[in-house]
Amino acid sequence: MDMELIQQIRGKARSLLEEGTVEGVIGYERAGDGVTSRPLFAYDSSAAERLIFDDTCTHNLVKYLLGKRGKKMAVMVKPCDSRAINLLLNERQIDRDKVFIIGVGCPGVVETEWNHKSETLQARCRSCLLTKPLVYDVLLGRELARKAEEETYSDILEAEAESVVSRREFWREQFSRCIRCYACRQVCPGCYCPVCFAEQLEPLWVGIRIAPEENTLWQTIRTFHLAGRCIGCNECERVCPVDIPLSLLNRKLEKDVKELFAFQAGLDPEEPPPFATFRKEEMPELGE
Amino acid sequence: MNLFISKDDLIRWLELLLRERIIIAPIRVQGQTMFQPISKVEEIMFDFDNTALSSKGWFLPPTETLFSVRRDDGQIKLMPATVERDAIIFGIRPCDARGIALMDGPFLQVPSDTLYQERRNRTTIIGLACRQAQPECFCTSMGSAPDDPSHVDILLTEVKDGYIVQVVTEKGKALLPKGWAKYKRKMPTPPQLKTVPTKGIVSAIREFFNDPYWERLADRCLHCNICAYVCPTCYCFDVRDYPDKGKVERVRSWESCQSPGFSLTAGGYDPRTTKGERLRQRFYHKLLYFPERFQEVACVGCGRCGKACPVNIDIREVISDLHQLAEAKSGS
Repeated sequence: MDMELIQQIRGKARSLLEEGTVEGVIGYERAGDGVTSRPLFAYDSSAAERLIFDDTCTHNLVKYLLGKRGKKMAVMVKPCDSRAINLLLNERQIDRDKVFIIGVGCPGVVETEWNHKSETLQARCRSCLLTKPLVYDVLLGRELARKAEEETYSDILEAEAESVVSRREFWREQFSRCIRCYACRQVCPGCYCPVCFAEQLEPLWVGIRIAPEENTLWQTIRTFHLAGRCIGCNECERVCPVDIPLSLLNRKLEKDVKELFAFQAGLDPEEPPPFATFRKEEMPELGE
Repeated sequence: MNLFISKDDLIRWLELLLRERIIIAPIRVQGQTMFQPISKVEEIMFDFDNTALSSKGWFLPPTETLFSVRRDDGQIKLMPATVERDAIIFGIRPCDARGIALMDGPFLQVPSDTLYQERRNRTTIIGLACRQAQPECFCTSMGSAPDDPSHVDILLTEVKDGYIVQVVTEKGKALLPKGWAKYKRKMPTPPQLKTVPTKGIVSAIREFFNDPYWERLADRCLHCNICAYVCPTCYCFDVRDYPDKGKVERVRSWESCQSPGFSLTAGGYDPRTTKGERLRQRFYHKLLYFPERFQEVACVGCGRCGKACPVNIDIREVISDLHQLAEAKSGS
């Protein structure tokens, strides 16, 4: 653990709370297992003393800002998480004035599960192109070198090379394991509909059956709703209790949107997102 | 009566049983251990920590049709769902078996849940004692033990060269072939577990219904349904009718008190709108409401919820916190 960085984080949180700049600081603390970390909401300076940061701090805390709308909150963001801030600013879901962003330099986070920490960096970190958060009020820790030179989407190219039949089989098997716990939705900073289509009764989009067909419908619509919006934090895949490789779906759409619209979510808070705008020249064969 | 069988004999016996019955056993699916119907005995995992999901799904499936209604020649016909075959659920840990016994409370009280009762009647439970405890285990604090035979029909305990077979019920006895040797040596010592201070928790939790503790704890809760779905004793469900060309199916699926809309009533009123109220319901049901009605805490100490929670909400920590709150209150 980088104690110097942790002291800086605690100091900043303390001063933000003591000066009344924010009502609370959303950061990380050591989990009950003594090995991994978990989100911490610090509302006073004594709680701020529990804040930590290390390579187990995988959670994208930006999600929690949606539940604290209207309150002045500080939040710790890693470079990847900062894209979620831009997404929510872009979609007018959070008020920049209400959020104090504590950016942290991040050497990458490792694969963790309860009571266990591996030495392996998460796949998303191995291909991370960011060296520091894209948006912040204060930056703590060092700006680090890029971990990859470019995004190659090698996993997606590999999946795309499979036949339609084998892809269909693959996803059928994956979705048959889905238990519709909705953890993928609940953890996602881009999922904030007041009533999710999955819970809507009139009209009924998807039924309650926890069965391959309805699970497939749920996962397909979930993925499409995130097209051009997923910021790649991959929290959905991390929290899935039955290990469905959701990154393959999200990254496939990220790649498509990049190719079709030259757009990647969360890089800029002002650039109009492709599915919220209509530009005739983008798709000349449509609407002529 | 304790018997002994070699691993080879156990496999041969299971092969015989599989000819006439469905066997549900822990098998490896995409890197996870899950209870599923097997097609071959070789699929069974004999050596595993515990399954990712509990075995409750056999008795209360994630989704099932309760009955269907069809219009036929001007007549309305009601067709209840039935259980087709006898089944064996093999490899249940004692904690999960206790989970089934706890679910019996709400499902078998009069009037009983027909489908649950039928599955229960037609299923024989073969348990597998735990020779090792996992870091998440705390069954001994919740009224069970790694070698507890109370809620199974047969309990197997792995020893060198084979298994000790404890025949617990008549239903279990009916499955046994003749000629297995008696096991006369003493039973192996079960593993030791860390304890959780469950004593007095039912009266302790009662005092803190309006405590800000729940809102604070719920701050980090994502309100997904993982804890409820991996839990051997969470049994809430949703019911919906599926109409389809002159036929209606009534379907029930797992549901959880954490999901939005769970407590939404006709007219739009929701008695539990805040995050804290929703999370509190989970622990109040397990630690107060269930014990008030069925005399037992609705937790078996399998530790799945704490292990699977993406933000480390752990019932053991909640129990300790409540004791601390109670101490602080009595001291003040």
